[in-house]
Amino acid sequence: MLVLQNLSNALILACTYILMAAGLTMVYGVLKVLHIAHASVYTVGAFVGVLAFSRVGNFWVALAIAMLVSGVFGVLIYRSTYFYLLNSPRTVPLIASVGMFVMFTDLLQKPFLMGAYQRAFPAGGAGLPAIKTALFSFTPKQVLILLVAIILLAIVYLILTRTKLGLSWQAASMDREMASAVGINLNQSIAANFFLGSALAGAAGVLVGVYNNSVFATMGDLPSYKAFIIIVLGGMGSLPGAILASLILAIVENFLVASIGYVLPRDSIAFLVLILMLMFRPNGLLGRE
Amino acid sequence: MASGYLLTILIFTTMYISLALSLNILTGYAGQVSLGHAAFLGIGAYTSAVLSVRYEAPFWLAFLVAIILTGLIGTFLGLPSLRVRHDFLVLATMGINFVVVSVFKYVDFFGGAMGLVNIPAPTLFGITFRGGIPYLLLTTAYALFTLLICWYISKTWSGLAFQTIRNDEDASASLGVNPARYKIYAFGISAALAGGVGSLYAHFLGSVFPDNFVFVESIGMLSMVIFGGIGTLRGPIIGAILLRLIPELLRFIQDYRFTFYGASLVLMMLFQPMGLLGNESWVWRQITRWLRTAPQSRKEATQ
Amino acid sequence: MSQLEIRSISHWFGGLQALKDVTFDTSDEILGLIGPNGAGKTTLFNVISGFIIPTSGEVHFNGKAIHRLRADQTVRLGLARTFQIVKPFATLTVEENVLVGLGMPYYPKPAALVQIYRTPVNLEKVEQILSKVHLLDYRFAQAAKLPIGLQRRLEIARALATQPKVLLLDEPAAGLVAQEAEELATLIRNLFAEGMHIILIEHNMRFAMNLCQRIVVLAQGEIIAQGSPADIQNDAKVINAYLGQE
Repeated sequence: MLVLQNLSNALILACTYILMAAGLTMVYGVLKVLHIAHASVYTVGAFVGVLAFSRVGNFWVALAIAMLVSGVFGVLIYRSTYFYLLNSPRTVPLIASVGMFVMFTDLLQKPFLMGAYQRAFPAGGAGLPAIKTALFSFTPKQVLILLVAIILLAIVYLILTRTKLGLSWQAASMDREMASAVGINLNQSIAANFFLGSALAGAAGVLVGVYNNSVFATMGDLPSYKAFIIIVLGGMGSLPGAILASLILAIVENFLVASIGYVLPRDSIAFLVLILMLMFRPNGLLGRE
Repeated sequence: MASGYLLTILIFTTMYISLALSLNILTGYAGQVSLGHAAFLGIGAYTSAVLSVRYEAPFWLAFLVAIILTGLIGTFLGLPSLRVRHDFLVLATMGINFVVVSVFKYVDFFGGAMGLVNIPAPTLFGITFRGGIPYLLLTTAYALFTLLICWYISKTWSGLAFQTIRNDEDASASLGVNPARYKIYAFGISAALAGGVGSLYAHFLGSVFPDNFVFVESIGMLSMVIFGGIGTLRGPIIGAILLRLIPELLRFIQDYRFTFYGASLVLMMLFQPMGLLGNESWVWRQITRWLRTAPQSRKEATQ
Repeated sequence: MSQLEIRSISHWFGGLQALKDVTFDTSDEILGLIGPNGAGKTTLFNVISGFIIPTSGEVHFNGKAIHRLRADQTVRLGLARTFQIVKPFATLTVEENVLVGLGMPYYPKPAALVQIYRTPVNLEKVEQILSKVHLLDYRFAQAAKLPIGLQRRLEIARALATQPKVLLLDEPAAGLVAQEAEELATLIRNLFAEGMHIILIEHNMRFAMNLCQRIVVLAQGEIIAQGSPADIQNDAKVINAYLGQE
């Protein structure tokens, strides 16, 4: 059943997109600025992950360390820059974000960090079994991605909807001044938001690094750009929208490449979709503001 | 050889002055933040290259067509900008940049990833400009031309209209400005001017490759405009000069050119978001204060 | 000559009905549009001036249907407006702000790309407008730096520069102290005496009652009363609508 197999491959792809986009959506919701430097957090996560794995040998420990470091990195980005620009006109933090992205990308490519070459991330499927049914199958690596994505998304969902912290994010995303007026410590709330969003990006980086057995300095560019497209498709700031959009994008990419081959590379599809979306439905598929 | 290197730097600097000024019309005057300007440089470069290499067109024709065609394409590519603002506009322009580069990379007509080579040096009025001082004269003349256009536009009703869109689109519509029309104008003019630089760029280097025009290059151009002072005439000029020359003068920055660009953007946004020489910047205020008091102190000195 | 006909204007924002079958005529008068918060007054202005296309209904100005026109098109027909929250062009001076309005006839033409705006003739016209609203002293000030009372006057000056037949003023007295409000009322009366048709949204009851010749009262998107100030003040429905707010 080729279609089902394609769909299941798309599902795995979607998982990585979702983790990246979820983190970005969270940050956008509260900050209201496209955090372009998110790409760097993803790459740092993959890098720390592969380094940790080579020292420790255990995938799960490496993942935890990578997520922790990514989270901290994200908070540092917030505290050193966005914190001071919260009340500036929107182009200011946006440009700062671009500046940070450029800076980190350049630094990451230096020999003392990741260098110009890729390195392997041979964690395999972390000991997980493959899933084989009559209709479709998942390799151990794919099972790993599915498992981690589901666990992390569940945790995020719980935090968003069941905790005071999550509520503070929802409040802050609607009206920052009001949120702080009702006693929410904005600084802590936003910092926590960055921590979690960045940790998710780091996790996404690790998973993709393991799946492709390759970690390199510019690995964040395309995924982060697709994450932007996803949050536009999903309607800015909407997590369910982002999840839906990730699935749709992954499916479209997979099927178009499989059937039409390409006049333009697979990645251009996402960009063309973005441009069309921005022209005709700037409020996203689910139509929220 | 050393002077050859210096000349190359100057030639590039003058080209970037033109690029920064052209981007300033779109981003500074009309307020449309674009992270895809390198796409227009590329379209101009490839147009000129294709016409010269495949159709053996004379330089002046290739140059003019590059300007006009890039302007037209820029007008068309400005359409996505009409319905979106701020962050989304930036995303759209990034996307356009990416799609344009992909077209150059994957469509055989443009030479694919191997690019186009053997682009002839320009010949005008019987003189062939093969780099060096003659080429510098060419690029400087174009920079002056761009400066003239920008200056003139700022004095016209369209220049005023651009500023109103940048300030407040609703208010500007209430006074008779059709924001859509003027955004398209801004894209068109800005793209056309960049297209001209593209032609000069291609004929100077003798070859063009898709990766010359990627997103990161667009960031470099935007950095120059913002660093220098967005919306002014002096800003993009100073921004281009400083951001091109500082890495050349400070050896240790050379390998970290983009770190430098990125860091200067961040620092500018934190401390002087209006740019180094923007209207409210610390530097500019010192300069204007000095200009105002200098004649005074001279008068006092003679009394 | 200025004849504005509002015909059964209804407008929905998603599931929320902001305007319900609003119908009235107005011409050559000072008309007040009042009502409690959220009544739909600014929405109605947005419909008339072209910022919103109404879900249903029509607006006719001097016989021409204008409800489908954009804002930059209605101003060309002679309808100018100001905004509830002032929108000065912050980076421009007072003089330049008014010049923008003066350029209204030029913007749609390609000639706008080559015609210089700062000419002695234009500057002279700006001077006249600024002295009419008593802003001449602030001519070279940056618009963003003016206090709100002056910014409101600037907005009116800007609108006047388009040589309108109708002036739609959205809460022009908001944020003004008593003396400023008095000056504003005098200005409005002078403009009317010169032939301007004026419609104003106002929250300040006394201001509206003293100034307007006729009043239309809007509540929850519908007209609940129209008539002279005296009629309105004694109308039970109006009193209820406002009391309900407290």
